[in-house]
Amino acid sequence: MYRTIVALLMITLMITSCQSGSATRYELVYSMESGTSSGQQLDQTNVSGKRYKIALVPKGLEIDYFNYAAVGAMEAARNLGIDVIFQGSAIADADLQIKAVEQLIDQKVDLIAISANDPVKLVPVLQKAIDQGIKVITWDADTEPQGRQFFVNMVEPEVLGRHLLDTLALTMGEKGNYAIMTGSFSAANHNEWLKWINIQQSEYYPDLKLVETVATDDDVGKAYEVAKQLLVDHPNLDGIIGNSSVGPPAAAQAVKEAGKSGVVKVVGLSSPNLMRPYLHEGSAQIATLWSPKKLGFLTIVLAYNYLNGHMPKDGQNIDGVGNIRLIGDMVIMGEPLDFTAENVNQYDF
Amino acid sequence: MIFKRWRGLKFRNYPIAYKLIVTYILLTVVPMMLLVYISYIQFARSVEEQIGEYMPKFLYQANADIEKHIDELTTLPEILFNSDNILGILRKTSYAKRSDLNKDQYNMNSYLARTFTNGRNADVLGVFVVSNSRVFNSSKVGFMESNWSALLSAYVQDYEQDGKAKIILPSEMNLQLESEVPYVFILKQINDDDNRKNLGTMLIAVDLSFIDNIVHNFEKNERADLWVMNPSGKIIYHTNRELIGTVDEDKNRYPVLNGSFRANVTGEQKLISVNESSERGWILVHGIPLHDLTKRADLVRNVTVFVIIGIILLTSVIGVIISYSMTRPLKKLSGLMKLVEMGDLQVDLKVQSGDEVGTLARSFNSMIATIRELIQKNYQIEIRQKEAELYALQSQINPHFMYNTLESIGMAVEEGETEQVVDMVTLLGRMLRFSVSNQSKSVSIAEEVQHVKDYLTIQKFRFEDRVHFEIVQVMDDHDFIALYSPKFILQPIVENAIKYGLESRKGLEIHIAISQEFGARSGKRDIVFRIRDNGPGIPNERLSELEQSLKKISFEGRSSHFGLINVNARIVMMHGTDYGLQLHSIIGKGTEVIIRIPMIHEEVIPNEED
Repeated sequence: MYRTIVALLMITLMITSCQSGSATRYELVYSMESGTSSGQQLDQTNVSGKRYKIALVPKGLEIDYFNYAAVGAMEAARNLGIDVIFQGSAIADADLQIKAVEQLIDQKVDLIAISANDPVKLVPVLQKAIDQGIKVITWDADTEPQGRQFFVNMVEPEVLGRHLLDTLALTMGEKGNYAIMTGSFSAANHNEWLKWINIQQSEYYPDLKLVETVATDDDVGKAYEVAKQLLVDHPNLDGIIGNSSVGPPAAAQAVKEAGKSGVVKVVGLSSPNLMRPYLHEGSAQIATLWSPKKLGFLTIVLAYNYLNGHMPKDGQNIDGVGNIRLIGDMVIMGEPLDFTAENVNQYDF
Repeated sequence: MIFKRWRGLKFRNYPIAYKLIVTYILLTVVPMMLLVYISYIQFARSVEEQIGEYMPKFLYQANADIEKHIDELTTLPEILFNSDNILGILRKTSYAKRSDLNKDQYNMNSYLARTFTNGRNADVLGVFVVSNSRVFNSSKVGFMESNWSALLSAYVQDYEQDGKAKIILPSEMNLQLESEVPYVFILKQINDDDNRKNLGTMLIAVDLSFIDNIVHNFEKNERADLWVMNPSGKIIYHTNRELIGTVDEDKNRYPVLNGSFRANVTGEQKLISVNESSERGWILVHGIPLHDLTKRADLVRNVTVFVIIGIILLTSVIGVIISYSMTRPLKKLSGLMKLVEMGDLQVDLKVQSGDEVGTLARSFNSMIATIRELIQKNYQIEIRQKEAELYALQSQINPHFMYNTLESIGMAVEEGETEQVVDMVTLLGRMLRFSVSNQSKSVSIAEEVQHVKDYLTIQKFRFEDRVHFEIVQVMDDHDFIALYSPKFILQPIVENAIKYGLESRKGLEIHIAISQEFGARSGKRDIVFRIRDNGPGIPNERLSELEQSLKKISFEGRSSHFGLINVNARIVMMHGTDYGLQLHSIIGKGTEVIIRIPMIHEEVIPNEED
């Protein structure tokens, strides 16, 4: 009898003490894993499963500036795994550009990113594209807001306009006569910069005098002609400022040929490659621009994001570009770069 | 079923003490043990679950902190772009003069020192920039290898780049820093955004000790292991430094990468919590032996178990004592009963307690006493009866009586009164037969009365006119024949009356009445015999003495009034104190004896074996 009691006691003790008997090797206690796991955000390349086709439309295919932009755009296309077609009119002409856009509509691209030759004329054809389900953004040169979703701008027009005049004032010693060679009176960005150039002059430099503003129509030949004409028309000209990429090289060439290198200062928007010889020779003093490659790259990245339903955000960090700003529906890529004889060799566009 | 029935039968046959103890254990010890066991398990589990639930959240936070910190470190290369000078140096591809290169080296290295290693970033062990076959560096610790710059350039050249920051473990490189602290390299391409070109590669050696600070915020237990591994299971950081660089083979078998699980690694139960960072996929793991978590619960459990064992031992002893104090009297009782069964009635069960067992013992004692008493009583009745019979027989074959009777018969023969002789002989014979033949204690009232009538008739023959008697029957004949009476209850009374009456009187009159009367004491209708004589009566002191004797119902031996006492004693013994003899006497006038018996419808046969 006592043996049974002792046995019972022992069994009870055994049960109490040896709970660590048989356990599986891994026994889940708690799981935080839910539907939204990490994997999702990494590969959303193609939601619809097809490759996006984005058209990058320049003002003119022959302009170097846009070709460099295309280089950046292609780099982005490679990185993102999408197709970018660089297509447009050969020269900077609004009507030709409209035709080019219509061709792109027929090709059924997913998105058109356009640098518009005319802010108003292009709107109907762009709206037609939008009606056909093609997304439209602008870059480099804007259109009226109804023609596009947002505008990818290089620099803030006010900053650029004021900065361009500052470089001229710096080289001219803040006094003398100067002329402006604008790209085209119809291009929105040119007009915007022009406005701020004039504002900056009237605010800070009373001794600077604008003698004439001429248009080059973004045509190399015409630019050279008008530059020569300016030198002829204004013998006491002290400086020329160009606000489109074809202007300053043409002006520098004209100044050089007139034997006025260093006498007539040449500054303005143009690319290092175009300006390198003139900067080294001293027939041009400062060139200002941004990296068109970077702009092309940024445009494609933003276009791609837009196709995926993500609008650009203020302060957004774009890999390979940096932080962008957003003012209204205008994206600002960054600050302008100044090229001088010292640093122009660092740039290859 | 069979087992149950067998067990049931078995159990039923076990002693009560065993049953009590087993029941006690089943009702007390087992539930107590179960309670302790279940509550311990539940408590341990809830501790586990709580930690298992909050630890992944801590880990998530810590992992996010680590990731954020690493993210911050990966943005360090971007500082380079803030300086145009540095960009200019990096963009240079060739040098005309050695001094230009050295100047750039100097500028770059001092810039790196200013910006990265001497500055805010305490975690940066060193910065190495490989650009166009130049190597710039600023480092707190050097490499073990002397030709490190060539090795580094070669490594960077072979490395496939995609523009994103990479974490390189020291083991992936054939280069080693002269440092004891855990570290990794952050490798990042330096891209010229403007020219869209690769300017070179930057390597930042990062001291991972900052993870210590992060994890020590929530885990101070020395026995807890914390480690960080990359998605392939390679351990980047471990609280045990020796394991850094090894691969956690178990990683692929983990049931969850964001949560907690119990693991039985190398025989030890561990609670492992893991969190996988969302971007880099780094897995932060926290492992702690289970018994560290449940240390306090274990202590409580052990204390409780010991206390309970103590209580169980104590209460078991008490239980055993109680069950024995209960079963001991029962055992004694059963032993005594065996004795009683064997005929020993002189037993006494001594139990003092007032409980049921005590009551049982008392009942047993009183039962034994009653049995003893009954036996005694029966025994005495038997003796009285025998005595009475003997007495009656003696009085009948009393030589004096016989002589007198035979003399009377002889005189009658002489006188030629044949008829009288025949009568007397007949009466004598009938009397003798009544005395001898009938062995039973009871006879019908009629027979008893007949017997006394015979006796009186013989006496009347003898004493002629000196004796007169009268017998009155105040009841119907049916009852007279059907009802029974003890034998020899009338003759001793009548004999007394004749004996004392004839001593002092010339003529004695005896009156006997048999009736049915309502008895005040018994509350029933009783049979009453009244024997009245006109003898000398009994003196008062003698009468009270007699009455005392009658009350005592004791056996006094053969005294002068033996007859009266014997009759009374027999009736009382057989029928209780409600019945018996009553005496009324007046000196000089006479005596009346009243015998009261119940109505007996059947012959009472108390001792059949007689």
